[in-house]
Amino acid sequence: MKDRISGRAGSRLAVFSGIAALCAATLFAPVYGQQKDAKFTVAKGWYNEPDLQGIWMPAKPVDNLEKGGFIKDPANGKIPYKAGGQAKRNENAKNPKTADLVNRCYMPGVPRLMYMGYPFQIFETEKYVAIASEYAHVYRMIYLDGSPHLDFPDLWDGDSRGHWDGDSLATDVTNFNDKTLLDKAGNYHSNQLHVTEKFTRTGTNSLLYEATISDPMTFTKDWKIAVPMIQKTGPTARLMEYECQDLAFGQ
Amino acid sequence: MYTRTKNLLIGFALVLGTTVALIPAISAQEGAPPAPAEGRGGGRGGRGGRGAAPQPPAGPMPRLPDGHPDMQGFWNPPAITDIEPAQGRGAAPARGGAAPVNPALAAAGFGGGGIRIIDPPDGKIPYKPEARAKQQDILQHHMADEPELHCYQSGVPHSESNQFGVQIIQTPGYFVQLSEFMHTVRIIPTDNRPHIDPKIRLFQGDPVGHWEGDTLVVDTTNQDTRTWFDTSGNFKTEALHVTEKFIPRDANTIVYEATITDPTIYTQPWTARWNIARSRQTTMSDGHPYEQMEFGCIEGNEDLQHYTQDKGGKAPLKR
Repeated sequence: MKDRISGRAGSRLAVFSGIAALCAATLFAPVYGQQKDAKFTVAKGWYNEPDLQGIWMPAKPVDNLEKGGFIKDPANGKIPYKAGGQAKRNENAKNPKTADLVNRCYMPGVPRLMYMGYPFQIFETEKYVAIASEYAHVYRMIYLDGSPHLDFPDLWDGDSRGHWDGDSLATDVTNFNDKTLLDKAGNYHSNQLHVTEKFTRTGTNSLLYEATISDPMTFTKDWKIAVPMIQKTGPTARLMEYECQDLAFGQ
Repeated sequence: MYTRTKNLLIGFALVLGTTVALIPAISAQEGAPPAPAEGRGGGRGGRGGRGAAPQPPAGPMPRLPDGHPDMQGFWNPPAITDIEPAQGRGAAPARGGAAPVNPALAAAGFGGGGIRIIDPPDGKIPYKPEARAKQQDILQHHMADEPELHCYQSGVPHSESNQFGVQIIQTPGYFVQLSEFMHTVRIIPTDNRPHIDPKIRLFQGDPVGHWEGDTLVVDTTNQDTRTWFDTSGNFKTEALHVTEKFIPRDANTIVYEATITDPTIYTQPWTARWNIARSRQTTMSDGHPYEQMEFGCIEGNEDLQHYTQDKGGKAPLKR
């Protein structure tokens, strides 16, 4: 029975990798780097909020934040690690099986969930925004009710609170654990990570994802990233499942 | 360290390391407890506990800007371990013919109620003999294959009977269910679109919904056969077709019906019904408004190691 489950989980991974590649190749227009269309006006949702709803994915998945022009501040495009940080990062990169728990299907943390390459769907209500990811059916709830952060640390994906800031969704995410990485290249953080995000629709089928990363234990100063997102559209567009199973799990 | 072990005594010892730690408090004033759908049934959890004062009847379900019933919020389905309570779990029949209920969860306000198979009238799944034999074999010898042990999503209709509740979200064209348990996601488009290619198999299947008056009707195909109807070996084949109805009975009760069709293992379609009750939890223990919590399953799973070889697991038999 172990072999059956392992084997199918493996083939499933291949199938969905294939689908993802196909989607990226055929369904998504090459709009990476697109700037906001001056003539674009964001539509309003049921509650007169900016309508960001749809199925989005990064125009280009982020495997290494320092490669691809994603870091907007500092200007050199490098993560401002404190002394010894880069060495630890490089060590993580050498040991992905143990350092990167995404390889064991664990929750990836925020902001990585948004840019690791899996589509996500945004749902807006009066009280909260939900973001469901295709990766391992992980979802985020972003409460808009002005409630404070939970008095509860060590969450894999943190605790998200948000508000509408003009045409953008702005969030504040804290209460992280220190077990997730920021990308496949071993970039890491401590449990003092504090992320603020901004989701801005820049066109009918484009959205700009921005995040400011703050973690005084790990970095000398705050730094900022921007990742363009594109929308999956059409009558067949839907969020599929990447039902991730650790092949070593339970053996 | 807040990775706490939460003991889920639902029929069998299911031990998951989770990151759920804030225990929800219950407001006795908030919300009317649901009555059972009809007839017998377990699911006592939704009735508000022994000695609770009678609650006033709930008003009608609110409405969305588009006029459809607004079922958004936190809901507690009954936690179902055996979708066939009249049949019982093999040699150990369920108490009184009702679906087993975890008293601790019931006391915490979890659980709708009224689960039973309403068709056929005997309350049993109309298995063909060889399929019943397979179900019994799974129950006796292969419980290590139980899907939730492996942190799979629950599949349909089992994701409508998850313990720990479900959050319903409705947006233009969508009815979305986010379960705390296993962070299961169910995104139901309500535009009656065609199903995806049958070759694609999904743990939650491909749900397509439409409104018939105030009832949401959902047609689900394409399910992966690694999920069950419950935790009692009631298995699935790729021919499975589930048609569900979400019937808003009042502001605090959704009557849920699932009609199951699979001519390869059943002699006829069958229909199960239960109530999904609005959660009576309004705050966390620290006074924070009630929210579902992050549920780490793979991140802390300690289940599989406990399954002995006679149940399909790896642990040696105890002498």
